[in-house]
Amino acid sequence: MTSINEPAENLFPEPVPKWRIERRVNPKRSWTFAMYALATLFGLFLSALLLLTSGADVFKAYSALLKGAFGSEKALYATMAKATPLILTGLATVVAFRAQVWSIGQEGQVYAGAMGAYLGCLVFIGLPAWLYVCLIILSGMIGGALLGTTAAILKDRFDVNEIISTVMMNYLIVFLLSYLIGGGPWTEVSTTVVYQQTGPIPAASELPYLLGSTKLHLGFILALTAALVCYVLLEKTPLGYEIRAMGFNPIALAYRGTNIGRTIIIVMAVSGAIAGLAGVSEIFGTAHRLRADTLYGLGYTGIIIGMIGGLRPLGTVVAGIVFGGLASGGLYMKLLAQVPDALVPAMQGILLLAFLCAGVAARYKLVRTEKDV
Amino acid sequence: MSTLLKAVNLTKRFPGVIANEDVNFELKPGEVHCLFGENGAGKSTLSSCLFGFYQPEGGHIEFNGKPVAFRSPRDAIHIGIGMVHQHFVLVSEFTVLENIVVGTHEAGWKLQMQEARARVEELCREYEIDLDIDANVRDLAVGQQQWVEMLKALYLDARVLILDEPTAVLTPEESRKLFRIIDHMCELGLSILLISHKMVEVMRSDRVTVLRKGKVVGTVKPSDVTPDELTRMMVGRDVDLRVARDRSDDRDRTEPPVLIVENLVYRDGRGKLALDDVSLAIRKGEILGLAGVSGNGQKELFESLSGVLIPDSGSIILGGEQIKGLPSRHYMDRGVGLVPDDRFREGLIPEFNIRENMILGWQRHDDYTKGPFLDHKQIGTIADGLIDEFQITTPSGLTPVNHLSGGNAQKVILAREFVHSRKLLLANQPTRGLDLGVIEYVYKQIIVKRDEGYAVLLASEELEDLLNLSDRIAVISSGRITGVVDPQSTTIEEIGLLMAGGQQGVAA
Repeated sequence: MTSINEPAENLFPEPVPKWRIERRVNPKRSWTFAMYALATLFGLFLSALLLLTSGADVFKAYSALLKGAFGSEKALYATMAKATPLILTGLATVVAFRAQVWSIGQEGQVYAGAMGAYLGCLVFIGLPAWLYVCLIILSGMIGGALLGTTAAILKDRFDVNEIISTVMMNYLIVFLLSYLIGGGPWTEVSTTVVYQQTGPIPAASELPYLLGSTKLHLGFILALTAALVCYVLLEKTPLGYEIRAMGFNPIALAYRGTNIGRTIIIVMAVSGAIAGLAGVSEIFGTAHRLRADTLYGLGYTGIIIGMIGGLRPLGTVVAGIVFGGLASGGLYMKLLAQVPDALVPAMQGILLLAFLCAGVAARYKLVRTEKDV
Repeated sequence: MSTLLKAVNLTKRFPGVIANEDVNFELKPGEVHCLFGENGAGKSTLSSCLFGFYQPEGGHIEFNGKPVAFRSPRDAIHIGIGMVHQHFVLVSEFTVLENIVVGTHEAGWKLQMQEARARVEELCREYEIDLDIDANVRDLAVGQQQWVEMLKALYLDARVLILDEPTAVLTPEESRKLFRIIDHMCELGLSILLISHKMVEVMRSDRVTVLRKGKVVGTVKPSDVTPDELTRMMVGRDVDLRVARDRSDDRDRTEPPVLIVENLVYRDGRGKLALDDVSLAIRKGEILGLAGVSGNGQKELFESLSGVLIPDSGSIILGGEQIKGLPSRHYMDRGVGLVPDDRFREGLIPEFNIRENMILGWQRHDDYTKGPFLDHKQIGTIADGLIDEFQITTPSGLTPVNHLSGGNAQKVILAREFVHSRKLLLANQPTRGLDLGVIEYVYKQIIVKRDEGYAVLLASEELEDLLNLSDRIAVISSGRITGVVDPQSTTIEEIGLLMAGGQQGVAA
């Protein structure tokens, strides 16, 4: 047996860490707000560095961005139109993530919604205009909900991870649409060249424009309504109670009699329906024919919007409008300040990271380790 | 014989409790030394001090005759102390070898796997541990996973091994194998500190130190004492078991029991028989105590009786109706209330406020809804009433329950379950970790419910409390009911033996 010859104090060379991270017991609203404000400035600062490296004039670029996003009535309408599908996919994220169901399926559900609605517009043709539009919206929501529910059933019955299943179904649905509009039954027939698109939708099925604008359509009202419905659902109904409780502690919820599998299915149906609405709004409010490229990325961006919005409906509306502004102002910035295309999504990414950091900074603090705790 | 590890007048306090007071303890080279005591007697605190997890406030620790002050387990490991926790700390996707090497200091940037392999193989040979070191840990039986934990400590040159209730998760056969290894280790000069409250294990150690309420009652050789004497040392000689009972004895013996459980069998995910042919009956206005070392099937029994878990076979008859296999919702609707043992995990939504937690499980009930919406005003009124009634100390009903003390959080659960249940109250360790005032309050409330005619199943590790409160006591050990005794005529020794799996079962 070896013996220890050193004195006790020198036995242990390893230092004990001086700092640790602790949760704030009651984060103040003002502190949280300050963190997010700081994050915005920090995000803009980092974006400015990016603009500099690309050789653009930062001031010119930012003022073009602002002008293009919110500088005029017309710009504002364009921003709101761009924000519409983003708010909806953001809300779809809110509903799923609040329940800690990690659905990445908003992208596919947007496509499914657009396809459901297009099917509706073929089936219900000839009905009175208001009924026609309502049924189209409804079939779009059903399309998204069906796709979402599929993932939920796979999870409930076979314990298939929802992240995997939703991502895979995103691929499936895109290829299904490619088939339908690229040679399949929905392909535009009147032209000699085959584009990846359907023919124009009937005028009666278009979502009407608002305020005489040529960009802002009924979809924006639908998005605001959806936000209100989400808020009421989450905060004021027993189902919302279950969704929130499931997000925090599904074990206790199950112990006290709530069927978790069933709740997941409902969550995914609601989330899918809202994402589907984004597809309806984009196709029947903006593009006026079914094509894949206008739908691309709306679902994935929605995840960012929902996260930045703090998984709250109102926050999501705000975040959606900011991102809508980035999208429509980005175009301006590109034209006026010769900023490369790719910088706008890069800025979105930077802002997301900054906001996520702010979320952590608002909830935790660094504490000096006391001795002998 | 010299002393390897020694605690001298060790004192450790936690807010409001003295967990260890003037504890003196010696571990000699090559001995199996058992720490014996009830839950909360200070066994874990003492071993945590010896492993550097806690720093004592008074007294000191000596290793090989020299005083040492551990700042963290790292220091203790450095000096040659290893600990195997009840819950293993293994990466199930890694092989045995990888688990042993991972996190060791000398690992550096590049793992020296060849050297490590040679050393681990050598250790296995030396201690006669029969293990495939290239197998993935997830493919190993629980007993073998424990060997990996022991190898981890040996790999770091441990000369003292602290085993925290090592057989709690093992089958009898695995336990036998473990003790063969332990004996062999001692022959090779290793010292083992065994934390246990199982009589069989205590009796086969070299020496036993009995702890009670944070103090050492004595250190004895098992060969010099009987199990009865040891049990008495653990529980305390001068306990008054016959506290006046204020019970209503006008219960109708002819009425069929509220709950009849027959031949309940449940095998858990690891294939361990968690419930082994459990049969019970509880009458109206009766408290059935459930005694047993925790982890012997209590949790599975409570989960079965509340519909959270569906047993493999057997029957559960509530008020004459067979309800086994129904989801928990149906148990709640038929008047079953549950106070789970892990209150923050199973009984509460920690981030929700008190009001919201008061309606957990009843969020769709007519009392709390108005049309399709939650009636927040009504919920607030009812919940705030309960906060007053159950004396919950809180700034308001809107305080999240994770800001409450354990006692107040438990009162939230009690209030909710008492208000919403009608027939049967299941309380698993309702007083664990609470201070005396609250414990008394919880028991009073349970007695009130009994007098209202509820059937109550009450599990506790505090035998004295069970003896005071229960009309009958069932003892559970390894998923089996080893006996049902009458608290008026039984002794703590008898219950202790039944808890340790003794065969003196009294039919009831």
